[in-house]
Amino acid sequence: MIISLNWLNEYVDISDFSVDDIVDKLTYAGLEVEDIKDYKKQFENFVVGYVKEKKKHPNADKLSLCIVNNGNEDINVICGAPNVEEGQKIAFAKVGAVIPENGFKLSKVKIRGEYSSGMICSEKELNISENHDGIMVLDPSLKEGTELASALGMDDTILDIAITPNRQDALSHVGIARDLAAMYDRELKMPKFEFAEDQRKADDFASVAIENSEDCPRYAAKVVLEVEVKDSPGWLKQKLISIGSRPINNIVDVTNFVLHELGQPLHAFDLDKLADQKIVVKSAGEQTSFMTLDSKERKLLPTDLMICDGQKSVAIAGVMGGENSEVTTETKNILIESAFFNPASIRKTAKHLGLSTDASYRFERGTDPEIVVLAAERAAQLIAELSGGKILNGTIDQYPDKIQHRKVKLRYLRITKILGYEIPNEEVKRILSNLSLEIIDGDENEIMVDVPPFRHDIEREIDLIEEVARIYGYENIPDVQKISITLDKTIDQSQYKDELRNHLTGMGFYEIITNSLLSEETAQKFGSAITILNPQSTEMANTRPSLLPGTLGTIARNLNVKQPNLSLFEIGNTFIKKNEVIKSFDDIEESTHLLLSITGKVNVDQWYTSEREVDFFDLKGFVNELLRKISLDNVLVDSYYHNNSLYLDYSLTKSYDGNVIAEGGKVKKEVLQLFDIDQDVFVFDINIDLLKKIPTTQKVYSEPLKYPKVVRDLAFIIDNNIDSAKVIEVVTKSSSKLLKNIKLFDIFESDSLGKGKKSLAFELEYYDESKTLTEEEVEKEFWKSIKAVESELKAKLRG
Amino acid sequence: MLDKIKQIGEEFSEAIQKVTDSKELEEIRLKYLSRKGIFPQLFEDFKALPKEEKPAVGQLLNQVKNQTQNLFDEIKTKVELAGSHSDSYIDLTLPGRSKQLGSKHLLIQSMNEIKKIFIGLGFSVYEGPELESDYNNFEALNFPPDHPARDMQDTFFINDDFLLRTHTSPVQIRLMKNTKPPIRAIMPGKVYRNEAISAKSYCLFHQVEGLYIDTDVTFAELKGTLVSFVKRYFGDDVKYRFRASFFPFTEPSAELDIWWQPKDKPGQWMEILGCGMVDPNVLENVGIDPEKYVGYAFGMGVERSTLRKYKINDIRNFFDNDKRFLEQF
Repeated sequence: MIISLNWLNEYVDISDFSVDDIVDKLTYAGLEVEDIKDYKKQFENFVVGYVKEKKKHPNADKLSLCIVNNGNEDINVICGAPNVEEGQKIAFAKVGAVIPENGFKLSKVKIRGEYSSGMICSEKELNISENHDGIMVLDPSLKEGTELASALGMDDTILDIAITPNRQDALSHVGIARDLAAMYDRELKMPKFEFAEDQRKADDFASVAIENSEDCPRYAAKVVLEVEVKDSPGWLKQKLISIGSRPINNIVDVTNFVLHELGQPLHAFDLDKLADQKIVVKSAGEQTSFMTLDSKERKLLPTDLMICDGQKSVAIAGVMGGENSEVTTETKNILIESAFFNPASIRKTAKHLGLSTDASYRFERGTDPEIVVLAAERAAQLIAELSGGKILNGTIDQYPDKIQHRKVKLRYLRITKILGYEIPNEEVKRILSNLSLEIIDGDENEIMVDVPPFRHDIEREIDLIEEVARIYGYENIPDVQKISITLDKTIDQSQYKDELRNHLTGMGFYEIITNSLLSEETAQKFGSAITILNPQSTEMANTRPSLLPGTLGTIARNLNVKQPNLSLFEIGNTFIKKNEVIKSFDDIEESTHLLLSITGKVNVDQWYTSEREVDFFDLKGFVNELLRKISLDNVLVDSYYHNNSLYLDYSLTKSYDGNVIAEGGKVKKEVLQLFDIDQDVFVFDINIDLLKKIPTTQKVYSEPLKYPKVVRDLAFIIDNNIDSAKVIEVVTKSSSKLLKNIKLFDIFESDSLGKGKKSLAFELEYYDESKTLTEEEVEKEFWKSIKAVESELKAKLRG
Repeated sequence: MLDKIKQIGEEFSEAIQKVTDSKELEEIRLKYLSRKGIFPQLFEDFKALPKEEKPAVGQLLNQVKNQTQNLFDEIKTKVELAGSHSDSYIDLTLPGRSKQLGSKHLLIQSMNEIKKIFIGLGFSVYEGPELESDYNNFEALNFPPDHPARDMQDTFFINDDFLLRTHTSPVQIRLMKNTKPPIRAIMPGKVYRNEAISAKSYCLFHQVEGLYIDTDVTFAELKGTLVSFVKRYFGDDVKYRFRASFFPFTEPSAELDIWWQPKDKPGQWMEILGCGMVDPNVLENVGIDPEKYVGYAFGMGVERSTLRKYKINDIRNFFDNDKRFLEQF
């Protein structure tokens, strides 16, 4: 909402307060000032100049050499505009001025051998309009040397105020003035005007009928005859320009003026184009399209509210008028519409048309049904004044069911309970009265407040409490210095993820956060992804069914910037569609996952060791260590697959109770190709929701050994395709409980071992909790194991 | 004899001070302290002395012998230490063996910082789903269907009834439905807005929501609690202001701004959170009696203050995950 401070001062006298103070007051009260444009400052160093002399530039055909008087002295100025003439009053920028259009600061320059110390400006250069045909020629009666801002009537400050959706009443100068009047405890001055009416009666020249009074509770009209459509006078143009509205003609400009003054959108019809001089308000029904005054064909819904004449539609109610009834320079007689429409109806229409106008913006937020007649009269008065028209006697006003004022009770104690601070009763009453909320009854405990319908947002006690607090000023309600803390148990549902993060970062992983929205093409490759109804772009049309595409995208981007060695993890939610139609939460599965990924090399450029590629076993080591840290290392069951996954070449899964909790391995080449990745990537995906549910047992301390342990090493030559885990299994099965640990410590393949053979070396640890083991006991155990492996796995002990 | 002992003591002391290596040290040991050295000889001489001289000489001899032995040990340690240095030189300036720690995402670090402050103030932490129902995200929070207030939040819809949550506030609804007051909790998480991706905005961001419901919660307490938060998060000298605002689910509503003063640019107010007293309609929607219970709620974005704090000028950095970005935090 653009507000001119000069204009505002007509409705509440706050000229003795500084701009900063007014801006603060507004902002604190919920009318946030987002931008301040100070024309006085902008036109610093701009004055009215007088072109004393104009000659041709000796070295340039298109340039003129002018002598401009700036009120104090004559100055040489070079000008390129075709319309500059001797004797003109012009907008003169002195050396040091900053041109509003481009922020360029003027200094003395030499152009083709001649000096120029200033500039004669066009309207565009002054940011007043888009006109750049030539310089701006000013009123000849202006005195040279006058400050340009005041000469143009622009010694004003313009505020851009963000109006929250509940405050439609503040979408006008009077609306803003009402709040300021309450805050400064000053009087709100509604516009006062007088007008003479013709003897002819409006009712004889036009009529209004409301067929759909639910969507149009009130429709008023004023008729002005014999108008002359022409340019508005300077003061009106200037007012509209100052708030960024483009002047069109005296009729349209007046409706815009009243809109910004009172907040009531108006529409002027050419009365002679209305068949039967009649207005009928009804739903579009069977009509399917309509040509609006911007010459666009609009598709209609049967429920759209239309303004019609005796035969046809002439406007889409509250949104835009029609081309067929538009006021033109030929127009002689006009009908001014001032109505109150149902906000929901206008919103629905504006939304499906994809059309938001100044009028629809206000109607859909709710205007003031009680101001429609005043607004119509105000417009009629101004139009008559500016166009020489005659206002017909009376206002046509259809208002079948008067909208009642709300009565809202306010308890003083409730204010104190909500705010934690007591505002004196008298202060409460003063604030409400200043906001035009009348106190109709009350005692020392509570009051009854009459709420007029322009405050759609005030329906309940709490709404009044907000008004009191807002105008009293939040800054005047003291902050408490102490709070009570409960001794009840507190819960932290994010703690588990944080614990995982702590361990992972300790192992050298970097956390990433990737976009949860993917292109449909990518998303559908990784699971049954959910489609977004109204995506921002095709690149983000689905929610992610897996964290994998986000991670691979991240790796690809890093490869592009020569960062090939990565250890990453992401913790985030994935979304899977369980049923085609989503009707309830049961049709979707949102779950939290952890995806670990490693790629590239480790130990790069280190003096103490040589670099190598990461592999599956790096990843497996990290995962197992992570699980050990959260006490789940002996709970999950590992399974290995050599080709069992859509995305992985080979994989390891970890299960609990038969459910796969986690899966990882080497990402398939064809998957990597989708992301243009040409190096191996290893990933591990853990479902944190499932992981979290696994019960962990309380850790119990185990005593260090009291008796020495005995360690034996051995190595088998064995077929290549026998897993080390199988050997361990056989050894363990064949041993008594004296064997406490078995660990693979070496593996190699060589021709000397025989074709298809490998050597696996293990370390076996024996001990007894109750005594020192003898050599014989261990030997017996040891050989039992060797025999078992040799016979079951066709292995040979290496000598 | 007494003089002789003193003299030998001085000779030894002089000689051993000149020692620089273990070879010289050994020579001295052989000369004075070995079995055939000077000191054992002195003790032999002592045995032959007349009885009346023995006490005085014995005392001196023991004293000098002890001093000598101590001095020898001291020098020996020095020589040995010096010797070990000269044997092999270590280049101490070599880089350490790299054991690089990773890092949590900067946004997670920021959220954890916020979490820590509120946990210290007695808040619990709850989470909720990102794919939400229209009811939890809007209607229960007092956004009527088809109301202009919904325009404040550009929404990604799945269908008429489901959407990607536009704020963490639906977690409030879930919490209030499932828990009896008093409730004091924060709710961190990811939220989505249907906005074009640019340097300034992204289609998702992170929020921390707060809620406190009890019989005696007040606006003054909300202010006090949030002031305490901004002081802990931005520093004691932070300049702040509460200004009135509008959210459908709180009334009165406020926004909290802090003054942001870059070194090289003019300062400005920066909005960091929205807050207010829980609207009675919201309490009624979750079955809490608004006459008896009062509550406050607040919600803050994590990205914007993190951008400012670390002088990052493009929000996309957070989601591009360039290693050269990640490594810095």
